[in-house]
Amino acid sequence: MGIEHDTLVAISKSWGLFYLIALAIAATAYALWPSNAKRFEHAKNSILDDDDKPLK
Amino acid sequence: MPQRADAAALSYRDCVSAKIKCLRYYRQQKKRVSRDRVSLLFMGDNDMISQLTSTERQYALVILVLMSLCGLVMAAGGRGDPLGVHGFVVLAFSVGLAFVLISGFYAPQPDPEQQTQYYDDPTKVGIALTMAWAVFGMFFGVWVASLLAWPDLTFDQAWSSFGRMRPVHTTGVIFGFGGNALIATSFHVLQRTSRARLSDQLSPWFVLFGFNLFCVLAVSGYFMGITQSKEYAEPEWYADIWLVIVWIVYFAIYLRTLARRKEPHIYVANWYYMAFILVVAVLHIVNNLAVPISFGSAKSYSLFSGVQDAMTQWWYGHNAVAFFLTAGFLGMMYYYLPKHAGRPIYSYRLSIISFWGITFFYMWAGSHHLHYTALPQWVQTLGMSFSAMLLVPSWASAGNALATLNGAWHKVRDDATLRFMMVAAVFYGIATFEGSFMAMRPVNALSHYTDWTVGHVHAGTLGWNSMIVFGAFYALVPWLWKRESMYSPKLVEVHFWLALAGAVVYVFAMWNSGIIQGLMWRTYTENGVLAYSFLDSVEAMHPYYIARAFGGLLFLTGTIICSYNIWMTVRAGKALATDNDAEGDIPVFARNAVQAGE
Amino acid sequence: MREFFHRKLERKTISLVVAIVAVASIGGFVEIAPLFTIHKTVEEVPDMRTYTPLELAGRDIYIREGCYACHSQMIRTLRDEVERYGPYSLAVESKYDHPMLWGSKRTGPDLARLGDKYSDAWHVAHLINPRDVVPQSVMPKYGWLQRNELDFSKLGLNLAAQRSVGVPYTQEMIDNASKDAYGQATPDTDAASGVSERYGEATNVRVFDGDPARVTEMDALVAYLQILGRLTDAAYKQSASADAPTPVGE
Repeated sequence: MGIEHDTLVAISKSWGLFYLIALAIAATAYALWPSNAKRFEHAKNSILDDDDKPLK
Repeated sequence: MPQRADAAALSYRDCVSAKIKCLRYYRQQKKRVSRDRVSLLFMGDNDMISQLTSTERQYALVILVLMSLCGLVMAAGGRGDPLGVHGFVVLAFSVGLAFVLISGFYAPQPDPEQQTQYYDDPTKVGIALTMAWAVFGMFFGVWVASLLAWPDLTFDQAWSSFGRMRPVHTTGVIFGFGGNALIATSFHVLQRTSRARLSDQLSPWFVLFGFNLFCVLAVSGYFMGITQSKEYAEPEWYADIWLVIVWIVYFAIYLRTLARRKEPHIYVANWYYMAFILVVAVLHIVNNLAVPISFGSAKSYSLFSGVQDAMTQWWYGHNAVAFFLTAGFLGMMYYYLPKHAGRPIYSYRLSIISFWGITFFYMWAGSHHLHYTALPQWVQTLGMSFSAMLLVPSWASAGNALATLNGAWHKVRDDATLRFMMVAAVFYGIATFEGSFMAMRPVNALSHYTDWTVGHVHAGTLGWNSMIVFGAFYALVPWLWKRESMYSPKLVEVHFWLALAGAVVYVFAMWNSGIIQGLMWRTYTENGVLAYSFLDSVEAMHPYYIARAFGGLLFLTGTIICSYNIWMTVRAGKALATDNDAEGDIPVFARNAVQAGE
Repeated sequence: MREFFHRKLERKTISLVVAIVAVASIGGFVEIAPLFTIHKTVEEVPDMRTYTPLELAGRDIYIREGCYACHSQMIRTLRDEVERYGPYSLAVESKYDHPMLWGSKRTGPDLARLGDKYSDAWHVAHLINPRDVVPQSVMPKYGWLQRNELDFSKLGLNLAAQRSVGVPYTQEMIDNASKDAYGQATPDTDAASGVSERYGEATNVRVFDGDPARVTEMDALVAYLQILGRLTDAAYKQSASADAPTPVGE
């Protein structure tokens, strides 16, 4: 085995946490980014249209 | 009339061909409407085959011939082995479909007009299959539940013993009912949210029937004793390989249809459906790595053993819950709930954040199934911590759903369909809280190995998964078949109360039995010896097992009523006003042309 | 293909796909990967033996009938479990279990240390009709095990497949698999001698189902049940030694 068990466990225990924090920040930032607001607003209302045909 | 003037401007030839085209379209429309009313939902319905282009029909035939050949090879290579029986199953399935296809093989070409509409035939058939599997799977659920109260209900048959029928129930409801519901609704949601027609008309059928072939192989295998023993992944190697092929095509449909979408943003429901498709593929492949004892035998041995296998199996098992029974169904909820309520989702942002939370956290939580076992403790602790964190995105999703309904409670009161969705969200909240709670080591010490786990799973499957499917179907069926409403709104109401009562009776029975069991196993007398034998706990379960079977029976009854209601809506439901008057649906010019022709 | 990826809409789909896979797979990797490199996860014990062909056939029947749906084979490190069932399970005890059968539900009791607890005759009677010996039992009857003759002709294939996933069966064991399966359940035949030679003196060689004339599925299953927890003494030794972790009390 190229990778030692202890190394793997150490990576799991430390970087796993950093990864979690980074991911949480990224997801929240994307969701709250001001320039995305309009797109989300459009998306959430667009499914309510009654037009039941594909757009050309 | 301006149309007349336009027509006059056309050359004589153009006019004739336009007339013929319109005439054909008009007749097809008329035929379709009348047929829908009297014909079966699917199978043998030439209308559905006539929607395929002749190239697609040829490809379909080629695929079915290849599948039949595979069946023959399996039957020949697996002589004297259960694999041979499955060869004949594959053969019969493919030949049966080929007959249906050939019956409509020379039907007229589809009208090019169809490209301007959504393609919903696979969804319609998917709904029918979903309900068939629901009744089948839940029937076996009631039967296996009854076996624990009355063990002689096996009638001395090998196939009807608890160990063989239990996976028939779990596969029947999770994959048969849940899987078909996911496939059927995903095709519908994908098209609406992308505002594009499915990428082609053949691959949705391949996915739908291919998946059902997998389910048939799985379930028929258990009766014969073919199983890998991996919970919720029991089917053997050849069925697993087949599912991978089906799944790749399923994923391709998603990619190709999304590539045609007219909305720049991909609606969040599709994120959930995509996570479901992608991650289930990864889980399925890794967990099912195995070596068959020979290519002529159904038997295989898992690549992993002992503790690694345990971790792999529960990594799969837990995430099957996460990505099959949660992500996919959340996708369903994020479309049908706002759509049916006529209100946008409360917070789109929250739905995105909880999406990444669920995608990330769930993967870590599997080891909470292995507390206090030979699994290293740090892995157990990791699983426990992430299970606790999972509560955040889970409740965010449930809260988002309920907040969407806030301000429309009068609708929830009056409309059983919306109430199904509301109760589903509530049960989702309860079940996820309970799950995080049970993942704590001290709680798990009591709950593990007991009926509490079974109760927890059913709070999720009966309360959340089934209810959201029923809610989605009651909304979807009238839309798809262009009916004013369900055949009987009163029966929807009856179904709602049966389902709710059934789920509550079931879950309470299992909470009681599970906690009593757990306590009896660990109770000591004053002298420091165990107070109860294992058998004492078995005896104590009897009344709860009866109650549980009764709860299941209520739920099954509701499902049968639902199937009947859907069937009658398709057959005899009142068509929408515009469809009653088919002539109103075509241009005035064409109407005149028809009159002139006659 | 290049064009496909370069179009903006597709790029969005692809990035979503990549993000989902990346985010989802990390948890599995972090938790599972270390288990495959660890030496401490699975203890080294020299006396750990493999299943004989007959026991393996019995194990396959245990899987076929779905016994794992109601019986666990994993005693947790909890005081009441250790007192009820015996020393808690070690990772090494299932190291040759492809797949593992730890189970998740105890509708019936744990079976990790079932071996030698009851007589063969008790097991046979219990499997034919559990309520004959345990009136309160809710277990199904398994009468067909006694009626079905065991098909041991192809057991060599099973052993060979087991070897390819890492169980140390020798070529000799594979070649003699059918003979050994037959011999283990028919002590008076010539086939019997090879079994203890290849699998150790402690191997149970006897008529398990009470019918010396035939080798049935009952023979195989009972042979398997009688070896549960008996493949190594490690768990008993560990529970006797002072430095073993104490089971968590109530």
